[in-house]
Amino acid sequence: MSLAHVECSGRIARLTLNRAEARNALSVELLRELHARVDELAGRSDVSVVVITGAGKSFCAGMDLKAVLGNHDLALSLLTSLAELTHKLRLLPQVLVARVNGAAIGGGCGLTTVCDFAVTHADSKMGFPEVDLGVCPAVVAPWLVRRLGAGRARMVLLRGGLLSGREAFEMGMVSGLVESAAELDGAVDELAGRLAQGGPDALRATKGLLNELDGSTDLALLRRAAALSAEVLRTPDAQDRLRAKLGS
Amino acid sequence: MIRVTLEGEVAHLVLDRPDKRNALTPEMLASLISGVTQIEATPARVILLRGEGSVFCAGFDLTLCRDHPDGAMMRSLLSGLSEAIQSLRSQRRPVVIAAHGAAVAGGCALLGAGDVVITNDQARLGYPVVRLGVSPAVSAPFLRLRTAGGAARERLLDPSVITGKEAQRIGLVSKSVATPAEVHESALAEARALAEKPPTAMAATRRLIEEIEDVRETGWRALAVSLSLTGKDEERRLLPSVWESGRER
Repeated sequence: MSLAHVECSGRIARLTLNRAEARNALSVELLRELHARVDELAGRSDVSVVVITGAGKSFCAGMDLKAVLGNHDLALSLLTSLAELTHKLRLLPQVLVARVNGAAIGGGCGLTTVCDFAVTHADSKMGFPEVDLGVCPAVVAPWLVRRLGAGRARMVLLRGGLLSGREAFEMGMVSGLVESAAELDGAVDELAGRLAQGGPDALRATKGLLNELDGSTDLALLRRAAALSAEVLRTPDAQDRLRAKLGS
Repeated sequence: MIRVTLEGEVAHLVLDRPDKRNALTPEMLASLISGVTQIEATPARVILLRGEGSVFCAGFDLTLCRDHPDGAMMRSLLSGLSEAIQSLRSQRRPVVIAAHGAAVAGGCALLGAGDVVITNDQARLGYPVVRLGVSPAVSAPFLRLRTAGGAARERLLDPSVITGKEAQRIGLVSKSVATPAEVHESALAEARALAEKPPTAMAATRRLIEEIEDVRETGWRALAVSLSLTGKDEERRLLPSVWESGRER
């Protein structure tokens, strides 16, 4: 079974992170498959809406840092891959909806921030605990600033920790909130169905302009962010905190 | 269909086509622009933009597009809208908008010209136009100044409308009050309060904000994106649903 798969129904595609046993943590292999699936979706003119979700109970637990701990080159390549994936997702011609079925943490929360819409339930966990681990949430920062505005993004990124789904909604990190996980599919299907009624050309043109206006096309910024994040990750402070956290 | 009246230091700029829910025509948009010029020559210190009848503005009068499958009417409406917003933004008086009942599509786009925008809790605001093959891109540079980027994206891509209360939450309007009548009272009170401020300081502050926002160029760029779809296959296929359903928005 592949780590990332796509199913289509009418004009709506669902892209699933399929690594439930690791809470869909972003490994080199998972990122590689996501790149491939997103490349395929970019050419699908029969698809208007892409719903991104995670298999199992989590949406995505973040970067799989265990495998790259102590290896700067590997860490840089993992972070660069995430940076390039976020850029590629944002530039998809389709409208993107994150179906945040459970924990969306760090880089995983970053994936939701890149989407045009995100829907979650009141008890999910979302946020950017990077600073608590001595790590810099650089790759996700531009996306959060674009979504929330700089003032709120500063608070969320510098405070670290996690928010409940409800708090994330109040902060503006997600566009839609339901009370329980059981109601999530109804809300996501309704939103995706409504979005899919839009003229594909009208949606693509509007989204393209929004990307142009908010600087989303800037790939160089994201690559610099990945390099910065890798630099901070190699410091002894970050390495010690991560070892303690990851128990290795 | 556009009325300009002076009440003390407040210039009322009124959309006056209540039988069509103030649906905008190219002539109305041109009159809006000439109304702004007309106000320049008066001692008014504030512009109050409002709509006569049950709602502020239902958007473009799309039935006019029926006889123009080449998109000429839609182009004229989009260009007029963009010019009207820019002319309100670039003149020196503060603009208060009383958006009661509904501000939909082009009507919602007009809110991008307001310094203070008041609506009511049950009002309907948004852009239900992508379904018609029309891109609300023309509104994007101005909407982004009022709301966070995420909310602007949601409103422009999602064809559903939101309530006035929700519009206040996301910052699309400055304030939402209980009833349409209160919208007019509140907007007039805001306009009178602004009229008491020293006009030179107001004009200088507004000019500086305009400079920081820097949306003149992007405003025209956004218009070009909306224009690029006019008369094309998708719009020609989807737009006739407006008059074929016999339902006017």
